[in-house]
Amino acid sequence: MTKPIIEVKSLAKNFGDNVVLKDITEQVDPGQVIVVIGPSGGGKSTFLRCLNLLETPTSGEVDFNGENLTTLDPKRVNELREQMGMVFQNFNLFPNMTVLENIKLAPMKVKAVDDAAATKRAHELLKQVNLDDHADAFPSSLSGGQAQRVAIARALAMDPKVMLFDEPTSALDPEMVGEVLNVMKELANQGMTMVVVTHEMGFAKSVADRVWFMADGFIQENNTPESFFSDPQTERAQDFLSKILM
Amino acid sequence: MKKKWVLFLALVIALFTGAMMTGTTAQAASDDSLAQVQKKGTLVMGTSPDYPPYEFQATVHGKTKVVGMDVAVGEKIAKDLGVKLEVKSMSFDSLLVALQTGKVDMVISGMNPTPARKKNVDFTHTYYQGGYSIVINKADKGIYKNKDSFKGKTIGAQTGSTMYNESKKQTTDTTVKGMTSVSDLILGLQSHKLQGVAMEKPSAEAYVSNNKELASIPSDFDLSASDTSASAAFKKGSTSLVNAANKSVDQIKNQNLVNKDYLPAAGKYLKTNTVNTSMLHYWKAFLKGVEYTLIITVCSVFFGFILGVLLALARMAQGGPLMTGLRWLATAYVEFIRGTPMMVQVMFVYFGLGLVVNLPALMSGIIAISLNSGAYVAEYIRGGINSVDKGQTEAARSLGMSRGYTMRYVVLPQALKNIWPSLGNEFITLIKDSSIVSIIGVSELIFQSNIVRSDTYRGVAPIAVIMVLYFILTFTASRILNFFERRMQHD
Ligand SMILES: Nc1ncnc2c1ncn2[C@@H]1O[C@H](COP(=O)(O)OP(=O)(O)O)[C@@H](O)[C@H]1O
Ligand SMILES: [Mg+2]
Repeated sequence: MTKPIIEVKSLAKNFGDNVVLKDITEQVDPGQVIVVIGPSGGGKSTFLRCLNLLETPTSGEVDFNGENLTTLDPKRVNELREQMGMVFQNFNLFPNMTVLENIKLAPMKVKAVDDAAATKRAHELLKQVNLDDHADAFPSSLSGGQAQRVAIARALAMDPKVMLFDEPTSALDPEMVGEVLNVMKELANQGMTMVVVTHEMGFAKSVADRVWFMADGFIQENNTPESFFSDPQTERAQDFLSKILM
Repeated sequence: MKKKWVLFLALVIALFTGAMMTGTTAQAASDDSLAQVQKKGTLVMGTSPDYPPYEFQATVHGKTKVVGMDVAVGEKIAKDLGVKLEVKSMSFDSLLVALQTGKVDMVISGMNPTPARKKNVDFTHTYYQGGYSIVINKADKGIYKNKDSFKGKTIGAQTGSTMYNESKKQTTDTTVKGMTSVSDLILGLQSHKLQGVAMEKPSAEAYVSNNKELASIPSDFDLSASDTSASAAFKKGSTSLVNAANKSVDQIKNQNLVNKDYLPAAGKYLKTNTVNTSMLHYWKAFLKGVEYTLIITVCSVFFGFILGVLLALARMAQGGPLMTGLRWLATAYVEFIRGTPMMVQVMFVYFGLGLVVNLPALMSGIIAISLNSGAYVAEYIRGGINSVDKGQTEAARSLGMSRGYTMRYVVLPQALKNIWPSLGNEFITLIKDSSIVSIIGVSELIFQSNIVRSDTYRGVAPIAVIMVLYFILTFTASRILNFFERRMQHD
């Protein structure tokens, strides 16, 4: 039996009086692709952000490779964050840097990789996301789909063990969704461990190992995509699916 | 003859700094003032060189220097003490403070040993007994006879001076207008805003002999000897130094050196000055002004920026009590600096801080303006940092970058780009505001223009010149800043 790479134990999070995550206990095994779906405002982003401690949990713990993030000193948290790449809905590329510089920044500053090596690696990653010809472009000149692919390449540049995606295609024009999902599928095929918050049910069906359905601060259902979509167990999930699959 | 409020200011600063350092008063008990000056080998004389023929700036062999009968008196005292004389220029207001804070050893600036001043400093015997005249336009010569002829009219005098106070007391139905510099008063007279200007007789004569449009009439003020005599001032309690200086002063008096040697010599400088009063002739003086204005501005922008970044970060510090304290301190600093006039800050750094470390005027000016600018820059930077999307920080942190790296490599560069126009404005404002350090005698543009004005007896031309120079500086600066702003616009 393999050791889980992420273990969430009794995780809870509230913003003031607003209790967003109530009690979540789940685990992610190496190589798994988890798709988190659920209604908007249900706490999916908050949950994802708790995994790399961008949000500090109110109680409970998040273990990464056996280390409890919530009790580590900030320096160690920074080190572990390197191993969890994150891709945001709004790309969050650094607008004052070229595509290449965006990718090279963290390896050079955090890992002290030298310029030549960082450049070489950046070009490899850009090839992987089919954007090597845009290396010297600034983010403002990219389409949404291109920007998101650069953001994925940037996260991969730190050689993470896990990739977290928070609605990576929600801000895109429909015709660009495919190019981003293809890159993600490719990544999954290479064996990357991924936690993906998305509304792309097709992606969930074809790529996910497990689907976590999240609503009202709980993971209501943890199932295989086949059973989840054909035979949802909870009423909450049935209700949600009937609304979006029409 | 001049300033009273300076006493108050001196007192406040002395009290303030006295509270900070103990032992300032102990000097009276053990007076080693003479020994100290002799050990140093120089006697530093403070004077306000806008009062010919007492003291004024003249160009000698292409170099501007302070000359006049007071300088001759100072030289005599220094020579008799066996030390070198060093002349420090500053505004009259600042002289006594400079004396009390040890910036200068001695003040000779046509100063009357009034009882009020005697409370704060020690005076030598009188080296010159003057009197007052009123300068008028020559065209009005028949109209005005003395102080009593100005009913319903306006006369001018240097603000806070004895003349000013006496003019108020001893005239009826006459408006007395005060201005800081005599050259401004003369300008007011020539532009008919004033009908007369009360000043010391030798000064009046110097002005009249150098300007054919002017004439002088007796004032007929009723004055005590102490109001019309001039003495050298020393720090309170420096009896040994005063006694030594008195030997020289007595010689000057007995041998009538002022009238025989010093005044004629000063007059010669005045004459050479009027030969060539074209502004072009003074290009070196203006160039020096530009140079100092730029030095002050560039240095202050540089240090102010660094301070501003640190303050902005401190104001946003979060965490334990240490961070809260830091934040509180930075906030208090910013509020305090923004709530007090830059002029007072400049004076405080020069005179107040000067008690602890003896900083040259230029450095004091740069420090004061940097400290001031830092507070404003901090607010721009804070705004700039807040204007950067939170997603940028999150992306950087998710890549494993520390808080510090995120700030330095991701947030600050974008923040600076956003606030570049504000920073540019701050730079341009500083070019103009650096003029404030003229009060402590730094040779920047305003100071230099005042020198040229008292040198040439031309009121407006030097002002016009520096106005154009300031504009050239600010315009060039804004062009350069725009260029960089455009270059940063790639996204
Ligand atoms: N930084 C925050 N401060 C306060 N409330 C927040 C914050 N982030 C999220 N929330 C609240 O938490 C709830 C869940 O939000 P989110 O995790 O973004 O849900 P989802 O991603 O599923 O749409 C919402 O009610 C939202 O208003
Ligand atoms: Mg969300």
